[in-house]
Amino acid sequence: MQRLTTKQTSSAAVALILLIAFPLLTENSTAHHVMILFFMFAMMGVAWNIMGGYAGMFSFGQVAFFGIGAYTSSFLLITYQVNPWIGMIAGGLVAALVAAAIGYPCSNLRGHYFAIATIAFGEIVRTHFNNWKLVGGAEGLSLPMLDGGFRDFMFHSSKLPYYYIILAFLLIAIIVCYTISTTKMGYYFRAIKEGHDVARVLGINVAWYRLVAIMVSAFLTAMAGTFYAQYVLYIDPESVMLLSVSIQLVLICMLGGAGSVMGPVIGAAILIPLSEVTRIWLGHKGTGIDMLIYGFLITLISVYQPKGVWGLISAIGKGKG
Amino acid sequence: MPEQLLQQIVNGLLIGFMYALIAIGLTMIWGVMNIVNFAHGDFLMLGMFTSFWLYTLYGLDPLFSIPICTALLFVVGLLIYRFIVSKVMRGPMLAQLVVTFGVSIFIANLAVYLWTPDFRLISKPLLSGTWEIGSILLSIPKTVASIGSIVTSFFLFLFLKKTKTGKAILATEMDREAALLMGINTERINSLSFGMGAALVGIAGAFLSMYYYIYPQVGGLFSLIAFVVVALGGFGSIEGAFIAGILVGLVQTLGGFFFDPSYKYAIVFLIYLVTVWIRPQGLLGW
Amino acid sequence: MRAKGFIIVLCSVLLVFFLAVSADAQQKVIKIGAVYPLTGNIASTGLDCKRGVELAVDIINGKYDLNLPLAKEEGLPNLGNAKLEVVFADTKGDPRNGMSEAERLVAQEKVVAMIGAYQSSVTKTASQATERLKIPYVCSDSSSPTLTERGFKYFFRVSPHDAIFAHDQFMFLKDLEKKYGQKVSTIAVLYENTEFGSNVGKEVNKYAKELGYKIVADVSYAANATDVTSEVGTLIKSNPDVLMHASYITDAILFTKTFKEMNFSPKGIMTFAGYIEPAYLPAIKSDGNYIVIRSTFALDLAKNKPLVGKVNELFKKKYGIDMSENAARSFTAPFVLADAINRAKSTKPEDIVKALLATNIPGDQVIYPWQGVKFDPKSHQNIYARGTLVQILDQQYQTVWPFDAAAAKVVWPFPAWKGRK
Repeated sequence: MQRLTTKQTSSAAVALILLIAFPLLTENSTAHHVMILFFMFAMMGVAWNIMGGYAGMFSFGQVAFFGIGAYTSSFLLITYQVNPWIGMIAGGLVAALVAAAIGYPCSNLRGHYFAIATIAFGEIVRTHFNNWKLVGGAEGLSLPMLDGGFRDFMFHSSKLPYYYIILAFLLIAIIVCYTISTTKMGYYFRAIKEGHDVARVLGINVAWYRLVAIMVSAFLTAMAGTFYAQYVLYIDPESVMLLSVSIQLVLICMLGGAGSVMGPVIGAAILIPLSEVTRIWLGHKGTGIDMLIYGFLITLISVYQPKGVWGLISAIGKGKG
Repeated sequence: MPEQLLQQIVNGLLIGFMYALIAIGLTMIWGVMNIVNFAHGDFLMLGMFTSFWLYTLYGLDPLFSIPICTALLFVVGLLIYRFIVSKVMRGPMLAQLVVTFGVSIFIANLAVYLWTPDFRLISKPLLSGTWEIGSILLSIPKTVASIGSIVTSFFLFLFLKKTKTGKAILATEMDREAALLMGINTERINSLSFGMGAALVGIAGAFLSMYYYIYPQVGGLFSLIAFVVVALGGFGSIEGAFIAGILVGLVQTLGGFFFDPSYKYAIVFLIYLVTVWIRPQGLLGW
Repeated sequence: MRAKGFIIVLCSVLLVFFLAVSADAQQKVIKIGAVYPLTGNIASTGLDCKRGVELAVDIINGKYDLNLPLAKEEGLPNLGNAKLEVVFADTKGDPRNGMSEAERLVAQEKVVAMIGAYQSSVTKTASQATERLKIPYVCSDSSSPTLTERGFKYFFRVSPHDAIFAHDQFMFLKDLEKKYGQKVSTIAVLYENTEFGSNVGKEVNKYAKELGYKIVADVSYAANATDVTSEVGTLIKSNPDVLMHASYITDAILFTKTFKEMNFSPKGIMTFAGYIEPAYLPAIKSDGNYIVIRSTFALDLAKNKPLVGKVNELFKKKYGIDMSENAARSFTAPFVLADAINRAKSTKPEDIVKALLATNIPGDQVIYPWQGVKFDPKSHQNIYARGTLVQILDQQYQTVWPFDAAAAKVVWPFPAWKGRK
C-alpha cells in the first residue's frame, strides 16, 4: 500500500475534525453510545486486520483477548487497587503473551484449520473464566464506582471523555496498522498471506512475523477490553468472551474490506449503527425483525459487493481519479 | 464403577453418532466448494421444525417425516446455493464466509418471526423410553438415531464411491480444475452437494426432534461442535467427519464424567487443538 | 479519494441514526421504561415478563373492581388521573444493552422510572446507569442477592432473591423432618453456569454448611448443552438424598428427560426457576410430576386469596394462557411504582424515591403470600418478600410449603420413574 497522498491526508483530517466535533453538536447520549461502540469495534477490527487481512490469519477468537484485557485490568483494580491505565498495559501484555503461547503451536495451521483453532481457543478461555472463582466465575466482576476523572479512567456525568479516549485508541490502532503496512513488515505479512512457501523462499522468518502480528493484534484488542470494562463497569464471561463478538468482528472486517487500513472502520461504521438502530426501532416488538433485516443486508452486501464496501469506495475513487 | 464407565461410553456413542450425522453434510459442502456453511445449524433447526409441524398439524410421527425433511431441506439447500451462494463462489473467501452467516441470521430470525421464540417438544413420539440391556440403559430414540446415522452414512458412502454422480462429486472435491477439465459440470455438482449437505442435516434434525427441544436458535451449539468435528476429521473427508463425530461424543461424555462436566466442551476443543498441532490436516484430511 | 468516500459514508450513517434515535419530548402521560430481553435466546421469557407488565398497566390505567393499588380509579388520581405509559426496550440479554437502553429511555424517552430486566447481569448494568442518572428503578424479577448489596440509593427490589429462595428450600427440609420424619443428609447441587445459576450454587453451599447438610456433588453446565448424560452420570455416582437444581427452561427440559432416561430418582428434586416457565409442562407433560420448585406465585393461591384468581382471569382473557411466575413477578413493579408516584404527587425522581421508601402496601393487595411491600431503608429490599415451594402434581403447580399455607400435601420421596403412569 502506497503512502497517503496530500489529498487523502487532507480528507482524512476533515473526517477527523468532524468526528471530534460531533459529540459537541448533539446531547443525544444514545448517539454518543453508538459512536463509542463504533470506535471500539473499529479499533478491534483494525487490530484483527493486522493478523487477518494483512498476514492472512483469520482469527475467530479475538474476543478472548478482549476479555483478557478487561479481566486483567478489572481484577487488578478491584483486588490491588491498581490504576486502570496501568492495568490496561498489563492486560495488553498478558494478552500478547497468551497470544504468543497459543500462536506458536498454531503457526503452521492453514486457513480453515487455523480459524477453527481460534474458535476452540476462545471457547476454552471463556469456559475457564466461567469456572474460575478467583475472578468471579460466572458472576463476573463489578467495578467499583470511583470518584471519576481521567486518572480513574471512569466518568460519570458525561460520555464525552469516553468518546474521545476510544477515538484516540482507534487512531493509535490505525497508526500502528498503517505503519506496519507501509514498512518492510507489511510486505513480509503480505508475502506470508500469499503463501507460506513463497515467504520461506524469500527468506522470511515466517514463524517470527506471524507471532509479531498476533501479539500486536492481541495487545490492541485487550486495550479495547479494558476500555469496555471501564465504560460498562460490569464484566462477565458472557459479555466479554462470547464467540458472537469474534464473529461480529470478522463480519465488520469483511464487509468493510480486509487488507486495507480503513476497511474495518467502514465496516464498523455500517454494521454497528445498523444493529443498534434496528434493535432500538424494532427489537422491542420481539418478532426478530431487526435481525431479519440485519441478516438480509449482510447477505446482500456480500453477494453484490464481495470485496467489501471499501472495495466499492476505492473503485469509485479510482474512477474519479 | 466399570458399569458406570460402560454406561458413559454408550452415552458418548449415542451423542457421537448424532454429531457424525450432522457433520457429514457440512464436510461435504466444505470439501466440494470450500465453503464454510455457517447456516448448517439453521438447516438442522429447519429439519427439526419441519418434523414438529408435521407432527402437530398432521400427527405424523418424526420417524415417518424423515423422507419429507430430507426432500424439503434438499430443495432449500439447492435454492440457497443457486440464488445466493453461487454468486460469491468467485469472490474472496471472506465473502463466502459472510454470505452463509447472513443466511444463518436470516433463517434463524425468520423462524422467530413465524413461530415465536417459544420452545417446543414432540410430546409423544413413537420412539420413546429406554431399553435395558443388563445394567446399561439405552435411550430408544437416541439409539434409533444412531442406527439412522450409520445407515445414512453408509448409503452416502456407497453413493459417492459407486455412482457416476457420486464419483464426480469426489473428483471435484479432490481437484476442482482437473474435474473441470474432465468435463464435469462443477456448477451442477456444487448445487447438488449443497442440497445434499442440507438434506443430510435435515435427516439429523428429524431424528433429533424425537428427543431434543426445538426453538429457532437450537442450531447454535450443534453447529459449533459440527465445525470442530469436521476440522478434526479433516476437511472434505466424509470418513473423517464420521469418526471424529463419534470421537467428540466420547470425549465430551467421558471428559465430563471423569473430569468436570462444566469443562466438557473445553476438553473437546482442547483435543482438537492437540490433534491439529500433531497433525495439521486433521485425522483423515489431505 | 478513498477518505472522501469514507466521509460520505460516515456522514450518511450519522445522519440516519441521528434521525432515528431522537424522539419527540412531549409528555401527557407518565412514562416508565422497561428493559427486557425481547429477542435472542431468552426471548420467550422476556415476552412473558412483558405480558405481566402490560396487564398491570391496563389495570392501573383503567377502572377495575380489584383490591390492587390504583385499580379502582383510572390512572393516578393524585396527578389528575394521568395514565401510565410503559416504553419497552430490548436488551437481547446483553448487559451493555441494559446500560445503553436504560440511558436512552431516560435521556430520549424521558421516562421517570425504570423496571426490568429479568436477567440479573443486565439489571446490574441497567440499574447502574439509572443510579448514575438519579432515576428510580424498581425491580421485581431479578433474583441475584448482590443487586441489593450495592448500597444504591435509587434501586429497589420487590421480589425475593436467591439467598431467600435457597434458605426456603433448607427450611422445607427441616420442616419435612420435623413434621413427617423424613430425614435428608446429602445434597447434590446442579446449576447452569451463568450468574443466576452460579449464585444459587454458592448460596446452597453456604446454607448446607451452616445447617449441617453434606454437599456430595457440585456440578455446573452450559444451559444450551447438547447432551447432559455426563452431568447426570456424575449425580448418580454421588448418590444424593436430594438434588437442588438451578436452571433455565431449556436445561430443565433436557435434564428431566435425561433423569428419566438414566433412571435418576433421588428422594427429592428441588429446583429454581426453569421448571416453572410456562413452556415447561406443555413440553414435558407427566414427566414433570413430583418436582418441587421455588416460587413466589402459584394459581392455587386463589383458594385463600380470590384476588389471584380474578387477576388470572384477566390475564387469560387478554393472552389466552394462565399467568406464569415470570409474568406475575413483573406484574408487581408497575403497581409499586404507580403507588409511590401517586403518593408523591410528583414525577421528580427525589420525590418518587422518598415515596418508595415510605411504601407500605398491605398483604391483601398483592398477588403473593406476602405480608405486603415495605422496603428496608438501607438495602431497599422488600422485607416481606418470601417464596413458597410448589410441587408439580397431576401436571399442575400446587403450593406445598409452608405446610400451613399448602394447597396440597407434598409427595415425598420422589417416586421411581418405572412405577409411574
